[in-house]
Amino acid sequence: MKKQIVAMLLAGGQGTRLKELTYTVAKPAIPFGGKYRIIDFPLSNCTNSDIQTVGVLTQYQPHLLHQYIGLGTPWDLDRRNGGVTMLPPYAEADGIKWYDGTANAIFQNLKFLEAHDPEYVLILSGDHIYKMNYGTMLEYHKNQQADVTISVVEVPWEEASRFGLMETDEEMRVTKFVEKPENPKSNLASMGVYIFKYEKLKQYLISDLKTEGSTHDFGKDIIPAMLENEEKLMAYRYKGYWKDVGTVESLWESNMDLLDPDSGLVLHDSAWRIFSSNPQLPPQVVTATCDIQDSLVNEGCIIEGKVRRSIISQDVHIKEGAEVDECVVMAGTVIGAGAKIRRAIITPDLDIPVNFELQKKDGEITLLTEQTIGNWKGREDNAFSRGN
Amino acid sequence: MRLAAVIDATVNIPGLKELSMYRSSASIPFAGRYRLIDFALSNIVNSNIGSVGIFAPEGSISLLDHIGKGKSWDLDRRRNGLFFLPTSQRGGDQLSVGAFAALEDHLSFFKKSTQSHVLVTSAFSISQLDYTDMLAAHLASGVDITEAVRDGDCMKSYILSKDLLLQMIKGFRENRVVSVEDVVNLKKKPYSFAQYEYDGYFVFIDSMESYFNESMALLAEKDWRALFLPERPIYTKVKDEPPTKYLKGSSVKRCLVANGSMLGGKVTDSILGRAVEIGKNSKLDKCIIMQKCVVEENCDLLYVIADKDVYIKAGSVVHGTKEKPVVIRKGSVVGEGDVI
Repeated sequence: MKKQIVAMLLAGGQGTRLKELTYTVAKPAIPFGGKYRIIDFPLSNCTNSDIQTVGVLTQYQPHLLHQYIGLGTPWDLDRRNGGVTMLPPYAEADGIKWYDGTANAIFQNLKFLEAHDPEYVLILSGDHIYKMNYGTMLEYHKNQQADVTISVVEVPWEEASRFGLMETDEEMRVTKFVEKPENPKSNLASMGVYIFKYEKLKQYLISDLKTEGSTHDFGKDIIPAMLENEEKLMAYRYKGYWKDVGTVESLWESNMDLLDPDSGLVLHDSAWRIFSSNPQLPPQVVTATCDIQDSLVNEGCIIEGKVRRSIISQDVHIKEGAEVDECVVMAGTVIGAGAKIRRAIITPDLDIPVNFELQKKDGEITLLTEQTIGNWKGREDNAFSRGN
Repeated sequence: MRLAAVIDATVNIPGLKELSMYRSSASIPFAGRYRLIDFALSNIVNSNIGSVGIFAPEGSISLLDHIGKGKSWDLDRRRNGLFFLPTSQRGGDQLSVGAFAALEDHLSFFKKSTQSHVLVTSAFSISQLDYTDMLAAHLASGVDITEAVRDGDCMKSYILSKDLLLQMIKGFRENRVVSVEDVVNLKKKPYSFAQYEYDGYFVFIDSMESYFNESMALLAEKDWRALFLPERPIYTKVKDEPPTKYLKGSSVKRCLVANGSMLGGKVTDSILGRAVEIGKNSKLDKCIIMQKCVVEENCDLLYVIADKDVYIKAGSVVHGTKEKPVVIRKGSVVGEGDVI
């Protein structure tokens, strides 16, 4: 059935810089904001932008993602016509073909696109925290009659060299694309959000396959090839909160941005809700001994200790006398009585011992894992001091 | 499973009028993020009963809106599942569970069901009773009707065979009985009766007094632990509220708090529903604040039940007493600086 637009969400990335967080789950499945997973943001953006057909391309550690997204019900994507379709790599008569680059992943799913026969294809990645109306971008793309529109966001000049940058003329037509240049001439970073005319996309995906030395990547291969051929590439300026949460530090920062009223990242917004799979948990219990300020707390938590400037995910139990400061505590973790933790992302389902201590200085962030607890010297001291 | 369930939501309890004026009694909010009927439904689902008929007065919009097709309870099934059965029969002001006149309106629910036995309960009984176990006891005893009791208190939940229930519905006018509860209370002949002893969490909500007191009692660890059992979750309609934000300078202690709220003031011994806003320097003690209420800055609330969508402007003082909490009706506005 003919569709105006189909979204293809690239969710196969590992995100190695997030260390232990991505050992067992893909980066888009990483918990965020006490309740969400990163992929909730692009998926909810689709729902709120009235995009009703979404393909989710998975590869690295896909199980949790498949289970989490299921039929797409939380995002209203459980539709008979369209809805969400999980697209992992598959086997054919001549063997399994793993996705080899972002463009190749889309190429291998041309059959899926063909079945929906869209006019436009929206390419998304599952690595960013942002709230964006793709509908407005599509209008722009149509008005400009562009072959591809690339969403860009202004980044601080001093950080520009970390991004893929678009150089444009005054009309926002892209003149050059440079990946992580040493001396940036633009501060318009590509957000990895593209709208293609489907016919052009197909044409370039097929020709890219035959191009020797291609890495089959949108940024590195497809966009430069289109520039080379003088296709119409437009930059669409996105204004608002956008963050790549590719490192432990940036993931922590983005979580902390939820507590800063001036950050531009607002979850308490009924007009642009971020949907997620809602586990059915009791209300949060805050006891007489608790002291919570400047924090987000999700359902199912029991808070008996002190919480400052932290994000507490569902089903976390912070026991009496424990102190959590500038932390992101992921679901199901129990923080033992008297434990003191500062500036850490605490991974899910940990059992943090009584009087555990890990306090980082300003400017430092750490990932607290099972191993951190195992390495903690206090464990023996504790056993000794208990005298048993 | 040999058991189908009937939730009799036809009764209208006069004592709860202030909260049921704009909604079905069965959809009165409880424990912050739930409606009364959630407990009965979850209990049924957690007891592996897959066929549920909710008998409700016609026009129970709030109830229907809350329950929908039963997706949150996993009851949106092709086989069995949830049946919303509107009836023109009102239980009236008499709380008598299992009203035959209402059940009679939907005999097909019973005739179509493949289950041999029926559980009859109401939305006002909140417990974690395992009906599987109660059915086993019922079958073992060989009696006609088993009622659940806790410490001698009748829980107003009954198990009987479907055939017997159909027979009772057929002859209720002639036999001068109005409900299953009535039959049990009168120890009507020729039936035989047994009691099933349950010892977990149980409260019965039939007045503002019991509503307020049982809400407050839930703040004690013993009680919330007994109601919120991890292995028997309470399901409710899913809302996509973000986690609750505790602002700088807030102090919230001894409370049950739902998601989506923004808490700025000092709140003690209270139950806060979804998406509530409490302004800075406001003081709330022993209050039940339902979803989407706004309490602006510098308010002072003691023993207050604020129904859904109440807006309390800055500087208001509202004081009730333990015996008579002030109930602020759904959607009303308490003016700036008002003292009640």
